[in-house]
Formats: sequence, structure tokens, C-alpha cells
Amino acid sequence: MTQQRVAAPPESPAAKRIPLWKILALPTVALMGVLVYAALALAPEDADQGPAQRIFYIHVPSAWIAFLAFAVVFVASVALLATGKRKWDDRAVASAEVGVVFTTVVMLTGPLWARPVWGVYWEWDPKLTAVFILWLIYMSYLALRSYVPDPSRRARFSAVLGIAGFLDVPIVYLAVRWWRGLHPEAVVLGKGGPQLPASMLQILLFGVFTFTLLYLVLFTLRLHVGRLRSAQEEVQA
Amino acid sequence: MSRLRPALLIAAKDLRVEMRTKDILPAVGLFALLVVTVASFAFPTSGPGREGVAAGMLWMAFLFAGLLGMGRSFALESEEACIAGLVASPAPSESIFIGKLLSNLVFTLAAEAAILPAFLVLLQLNPGPGLPLLLVTSVAGTFGIVVVGTLLSAMAVNTRTREAILPILAIPISVPALIASVQATQAALEGKDIAAAAPWLFLLVGYGAMFLLVALATFPYVLEE
Repeated sequence: MTQQRVAAPPESPAAKRIPLWKILALPTVALMGVLVYAALALAPEDADQGPAQRIFYIHVPSAWIAFLAFAVVFVASVALLATGKRKWDDRAVASAEVGVVFTTVVMLTGPLWARPVWGVYWEWDPKLTAVFILWLIYMSYLALRSYVPDPSRRARFSAVLGIAGFLDVPIVYLAVRWWRGLHPEAVVLGKGGPQLPASMLQILLFGVFTFTLLYLVLFTLRLHVGRLRSAQEEVQA
Repeated sequence: MSRLRPALLIAAKDLRVEMRTKDILPAVGLFALLVVTVASFAFPTSGPGREGVAAGMLWMAFLFAGLLGMGRSFALESEEACIAGLVASPAPSESIFIGKLLSNLVFTLAAEAAILPAFLVLLQLNPGPGLPLLLVTSVAGTFGIVVVGTLLSAMAVNTRTREAILPILAIPISVPALIASVQATQAALEGKDIAAAAPWLFLLVGYGAMFLLVALATFPYVLEE
């Protein structure tokens, strides 16, 4: 990297900072390894659920990150409509893609646990249904983006869907809860103990921390990819 | 007043166009009838619990027919750049939204009014004392679906797929309205009165009101060129 440009454009100090994903990538991978070890070896075995319960240390942090990611999409979408600045659209789509990946992880790890513990892979429980609808909403968000070629219009349209979709989620949850609540014959879902033993809670919190780092890595990396892509679009235009 | 009047003019224009071209309503009504027909081959339509199955069939028909009509309605608007004319006109964007919402509501409710008696006869259902609940639910559920559909159809027609993407965008967001509508309709078909489904109607009103606000706030950005 040559440093000879004197009249640097205003963005250049930020561009020269080492990007966050480069700093965090290796520590995150290491912590993920520790998390898997802690979940499989250090965590006590659940008395009722047996080894299946260990997937909880991946499942719950993934769910947490998925919600965080979609909240970021919502905030970025509002900011895009308010300011019209393209960087907010870049942030929204980066977070939406990462969120869809984590939602997929939630929906793959959930049934793996549910099969031995509940006896079924899937149950139309409020949380499961809300997560599934959430996944569908953000899949449609990504589908919409791929069908709108104009960048400014794509940013505005997806922001509208990012806002409407996020506000929809609590209503989905409420509707499904009432729906199942009116049918007492529905399977009563084992909630597990209300209090988690300290050893389990520590590993869970460590998992949430590690997954938050993972989100930051993936989010900033995806932002970087987005910047490269828009640079490419500008060159081609 | 200055906002409502242009909205009414736009809705009246849509109804007048429809009276002349008959582009939307016959197709939408026939489509809804076909959905009910196909569903009655696929699902058990007799025996215990058939009210629940019938309620689901009815809302599948309403939803698909409504989406078809709303997609058509905005597609017609973007042909010949009609929408650009509306945007350039002095009508504020909220009025354009309300106008399209009103005409979409009229089209969808008209198609439903045509399909509902046929549906009850074909499936040998008699709501009896549940009739008021059935009608209130149809209007409240349709309102929610049409608010969301009008907003999203304005976006869908400006994509590469035209209105074909509308169901993909609208159905996930319509899930709460669909659950509430199906549940309240099931209660109605079982002959229950409005009070029996009050929470569902409350949810439908809340859903419709919230998305009306979201749509009014975001519609200007959808129209922007």
C-alpha cells in the first residue's frame, strides 16, 4: 500500500482502518471451538433430556443473533428511508443475509432436539411458528432484492419490507399463541426447568457472547463484500 | 378534505375502468371459485371438524383471489405510465394509496360476495346465527389483507417479475390476519356469535390499523422514481 496520496478523499481514514472482521475472525473461530468443547464436554448432562439438550448451547445463541440481525435490518431500513443514504441499505442487506443464515440454523437445530425430547420434529408452537414465518419474511426480502435492478429503488422497496416484516413478527407470535391457546389438546411443550443451573447458564452466556462476535464478523465481512460489489457495479456502469 | 377527495376520485376512476374493461372482477371471482373447487377435492368436506377445513378453504380462496386482483390493479396502473401521471398530479401520495386501497377493497369484497353464497351451498354449510360474525370477519380480514397487498403490489409491479412476486411478499406478512380470519370464520360456521370471536376480531382490527399506518408512512418512498 503506497501512502503517497496527499489530497485524500474524506472517507480514506476509515478505509485505512483494519476492518473489524479481520481483527475478530480468528478469535471468533477459536471461541467457537471452545464453545463446542464446553457444550459437549463441560456442561452437565440434563437429567430429563440427556445429551440432546447440549444442542441448546448452539440453538439459543443462534436464535438470539437472528433476532438481533433482524432488529438491525429494521433500524437500518428506517434510517434508509429517513436519510436516503445508500450505506443504510448495505447494512440492512448484510444483516438480513446473516439473519437468514442464523434462522436456518435455529430451524435445523430445533427439530434435531425436538425429535428425541418431544417425539416429533415439528410442532406448531408459537415460537416455532413465529421463527418459521420470520424466515419466510426475510427469504421474501432477499427474493425481492434480486428482482429490482435499480439500486435506489431496491433500497427503498426492501426498506419498506424490512419495516413491515419486523413489525409483523410480534403479531404473528400473538396470533399463534391464541390459536394454540384455544386448543388445549395441543401438545404441552416441556419448558425445561425455569431456573438453569449456574454451570449451564455460564456456557449459554458464553455462547451468546461468541455468537455475537460471529455476527459482527459475518456482518462486517458481508458489508465489505457489498462495497466491492457496488464498486464493481460503478465500474461496469 | 383535500386528501380524501383525490382518493375518492382515484377509486372512482378504477371502478369506472373496471366497468368498461371488466379486466379484474370476472377473472378474480372465477379464480376464487376454482380454489374452492380444487380444495373441496383435496380436503374432507364432511364429518366432524369440517367447519375448520371449510374456513381454511374459504380464506385460501379469498387470499389468492385478492392477490390476483390487487396485482392486476397495479399492473394496469403501470401500463401506459398511468402511475407516473398520478404521481405528477397534485394528489398527495397518501391519497393515491387510499384511492387504490378503496378500489382494491371494493373489487375484493365484490368477488367475495359472489363466492360466499356459492361456497356455503357447495359445502352444505349453514352458519345460521353465525352469519353476522361471518360477514364482519370477511370485511375485517379482507381489510388487513388488502392494506398489505396494496402496499406490496405497488412494489411488485416495479420488479422484473411484475406482479408475479406479490404472493411471495404478501403471504408471509399476512399470516396473522389469516390465522385470525380462519379462526373467527370457523367459529361463525359453527353458528357462534360475534362475542365468541372477539379476540380474533380485535387482532384483525389492530393488524389492519397498524399496517395502514405503516403503509401511509412508507408509500411515498414506494412511488418515488
